[in-house]
Amino acid sequence: MKTIQAFQPLVALIGLAALLIALVTVAQAVSGLAGFLVERQVVLIVWLAGLLIASVVFAWVVRRTLRRDASRSSLLVMTLTVLGLASPLALMLLQHPAH
Amino acid sequence: MSMTWRRPIAGLLILSGLLTLAYLGVSSYIAEQLVYEAPKPIVSTPANLGLRFANVTVPSRDDHINLKGWFIPGVLPDGRLTVERMIIVVHGTRTNRESPGDHLLQLTGALAHNGLGVLSFDMRGMGESPPAPLSMGNLEQRDVLGAVDFLRTGTLPIPELGRPRFIGGLGISMGAATLLLAAAREPAIQAVVSDSAFADAAPLLEREIPKRKVAVIGQIPGGLAPSALVMARILYGVDLFDARPVDSIARIAPRPLLLIHGAADDYVPISNFQQLVAAATLPATARVTTWIVPNTRHAQAFKNTGAAYVARVVTFFDAGLGVARTSTGAAA
Repeated sequence: MKTIQAFQPLVALIGLAALLIALVTVAQAVSGLAGFLVERQVVLIVWLAGLLIASVVFAWVVRRTLRRDASRSSLLVMTLTVLGLASPLALMLLQHPAH
Repeated sequence: MSMTWRRPIAGLLILSGLLTLAYLGVSSYIAEQLVYEAPKPIVSTPANLGLRFANVTVPSRDDHINLKGWFIPGVLPDGRLTVERMIIVVHGTRTNRESPGDHLLQLTGALAHNGLGVLSFDMRGMGESPPAPLSMGNLEQRDVLGAVDFLRTGTLPIPELGRPRFIGGLGISMGAATLLLAAAREPAIQAVVSDSAFADAAPLLEREIPKRKVAVIGQIPGGLAPSALVMARILYGVDLFDARPVDSIARIAPRPLLLIHGAADDYVPISNFQQLVAAATLPATARVTTWIVPNTRHAQAFKNTGAAYVARVVTFFDAGLGVARTSTGAAA
């Protein structure tokens, strides 16, 4: 049960991403009625604000999870989560170095 | 042991999560810059070249965006006006139907003075046309298709000249890519001149994005380019991965196609031209003519060669669409 709890940060991240994309889709549909000039700004603001809130929620979920359970198995799951998050980012940045 | 590792793992987890979110945030900001640029004003008109023209509004196909354009009848050797053969002229990205950078208005005028009528318009999000996301031809092809519909069934501004019998297209840079995408779908475009088209937009953008500077961020790190393209799709519904004329160019056959490219093009490298030629000549019925213009950079072929460019293009359209007829019915 505790090991399952260790998946919470990953689940939270996926859930937040899905929620954010849904929110942006709604913002796109609503602001699109006012024209593209309004849409592009509204969508960007909603997305960036959403990312900011998501980062706070994510940090809170990580802290809470580790406070409740710091067993070896849950730490292992979280290490895998770190790798899962960091590897695509590292690969992308290493494959396309800044010019 | 667990207690020892708890803090570093929590730190790493939060750091990697925050970095991912920051990466997405910056990518989305770049995506926003990719799909929009403030339109450039139009300063000159065909009247500056001594041509009669009419301002027209051309609805795009499917999404009915009202595009602003010029309807310019061709001038026959006897001075009479004609719309028998109309050329849809398509400008490049982040410019307009005047496009001073590649002398597009002058080229438009030269075509009209050689008996070819011209419908030149601002694609969506550019010039005087309504704001819309820029999509490297993927959405803009609807604008070209709208221009075809306008010429075939729309209310033409000079009705006494009748309706065009032949429709051709000439595009420059992204306009050329857009025209190739549209011509592949629309057989009413009977002859196509493509100058400096790209074969596939995504690699071009992935290479070009890091060369650009944007407000706040400055020079864009290369690793952000692919995700910026993805973000453009998520946030604005603009699929920049789908702007691939190389996939559809073969469908233009058996209609005649003239592909022009500058030998010294460092924006859309000559490899794009080679890919397009290879794909266009695949069908047995293909009628492809090519012209690599020496010592010429991106979209500068007309600017560098002037009369030679016009002669090649007019000869190509004469062969592809037929020679214009004078008022007496004799070939001009």
